[in-house]
Amino acid sequence: MLLTEREEAMARGDFGPGIQKCMEILIKFGEAIGAEKMARISSAHTMPKEPPELLREMTEGAQEINTFTTLHPLMAAFSPQSWKRMGLPENFVETESKLYEQRREIYRRLGFFQTYTCIPMLVGNLPRKGELVSWIGTGAQLLVNSIIGARCNRDGTVVNLAAAVTGRAPLSGLYLDENRKGEVLVKFERLEVDRLSNAQFGAIGYHIGAAAGSRNVVIDGLPNDLNLDQIKYLMAPLAVSGSVSLCHIVGLTPEAPTLDAAFGGKPPKETILIGPSQIRRSLDQYADGGSQVDMAIFGCPHCTAPEVKRLATLLSGRRLAGDKRLWIGMPHQHYHLAKLMGDTDIIESAGGVFASSCMATIPEAPIPAGVRVIATNSFKAAHYISRLTKGAVKVVVGDMDQCVEAVTGGNWREARS
Amino acid sequence: MILKGRVINGGEAAGEAVVLDTPFSFIGEFDAGAGTLVLEGHPLNGASVAGKILVCPTGKGGTIAPFIAYQAMQAGKAPAAIVCETADPILCECALVINIPILDSFKVSPLKAIKTGQMVTIANGEVSVETA
Repeated sequence: MLLTEREEAMARGDFGPGIQKCMEILIKFGEAIGAEKMARISSAHTMPKEPPELLREMTEGAQEINTFTTLHPLMAAFSPQSWKRMGLPENFVETESKLYEQRREIYRRLGFFQTYTCIPMLVGNLPRKGELVSWIGTGAQLLVNSIIGARCNRDGTVVNLAAAVTGRAPLSGLYLDENRKGEVLVKFERLEVDRLSNAQFGAIGYHIGAAAGSRNVVIDGLPNDLNLDQIKYLMAPLAVSGSVSLCHIVGLTPEAPTLDAAFGGKPPKETILIGPSQIRRSLDQYADGGSQVDMAIFGCPHCTAPEVKRLATLLSGRRLAGDKRLWIGMPHQHYHLAKLMGDTDIIESAGGVFASSCMATIPEAPIPAGVRVIATNSFKAAHYISRLTKGAVKVVVGDMDQCVEAVTGGNWREARS
Repeated sequence: MILKGRVINGGEAAGEAVVLDTPFSFIGEFDAGAGTLVLEGHPLNGASVAGKILVCPTGKGGTIAPFIAYQAMQAGKAPAAIVCETADPILCECALVINIPILDSFKVSPLKAIKTGQMVTIANGEVSVETA
């Protein structure tokens, strides 16, 4: 690889053994994937689940890191604030707390911002169109590429950490213009696209991901005034049932002013048609829980403040029935915002619990005993929870109001397709 | 028998080969504490790859796989080297973070040239397979 003087100095160890190890990994990795040089990155977003020894090893000798770096949610539903109310086992919390404190000491030294969210743009990590970034989290990678038009590769946790520490990443993949054009076209038939619910958006995304695999997706025919939550539920499943890293929406996302621009003037390699039967097929995969729901989960990806406001409206004057549970994943910064708005008090007095952690990996916590059926508005959470529990916990997907109904005394009713 | 391929990470290693016919993942299909494969219904289910030469077509798995590889190394249960047909980016990361040799792009597929249980030595960018 062609390196700058500074990059060579990093690889030589001039800036300490941590930066040296990071640069060595980046060089070997870059050569393996055919990159000719390094790129400067403007922001990073890393996974707070490093073995602490590895984090020390990769940052040894490094003082403050120049790259603006935020942190992904705490994994496996671990919440230092809410674990008791969530009913997490003490031995799990004890182990996780130790690791959490060891990492936090290093994050403070390096200046990694302890955001603990999977939508870093919500809390100030907001690159501009065209900037190169290294973010972890397949959903965050997809969103930053697609809705911001910043450029992010599907880095793994180690290349990502090395990129944060050095401010460099191999110039390759989605950093390059030629790899950002659409490959697969999505069109709609027999659907009122301006009346889709969030569960339906998720169902559509879940279908597209499986059909598109790792190819770049272009969606044509959606209204150009979709809000962030609608886009979030549509896009997140693309990186779950498939491994899509870039999804243009014609007339809405920054690199798709027109269909032609999204495809770079070339014809699509495949066209995927979405109608009621495709939505039904996705919903049917998460419809078989019976009528008894034990727990509802929101916030995968993390809830925004407007979603929490809506949840507060739905829960106003109600309480969770019996020993049913309600967990909400949201950035802790937005918890304060929602508290100021009076929303968290309503939700917490109804029995809900907030955590700045990951709602898809909760089975690793583990899920509280007695929970057999979970309702969620997220296909991503449904996918991972049902697989991580090997089917022992059933997951049903519907809209927020259906999930709330099912844990406040009503029965589960199936989502409309 | 000597096999020559592309060296992604060099170094020396020697050990018994474990030849897996499916893409390998450090997540879900590997117990980092025990160093064993978790492949229900597969003949190699439960086989240890700790200190051995892992031979596989390619890698797969989520972005957190390199952390699992590191945990396996801390437990002394990581493979000693990886020899594969085509190294995908995540498998490269896993080998690089624990600094074990990883080689790919051989003229003859290592899955055909190497059998489970054979002694394999990696040195000077070459893979030597001991024939009985």
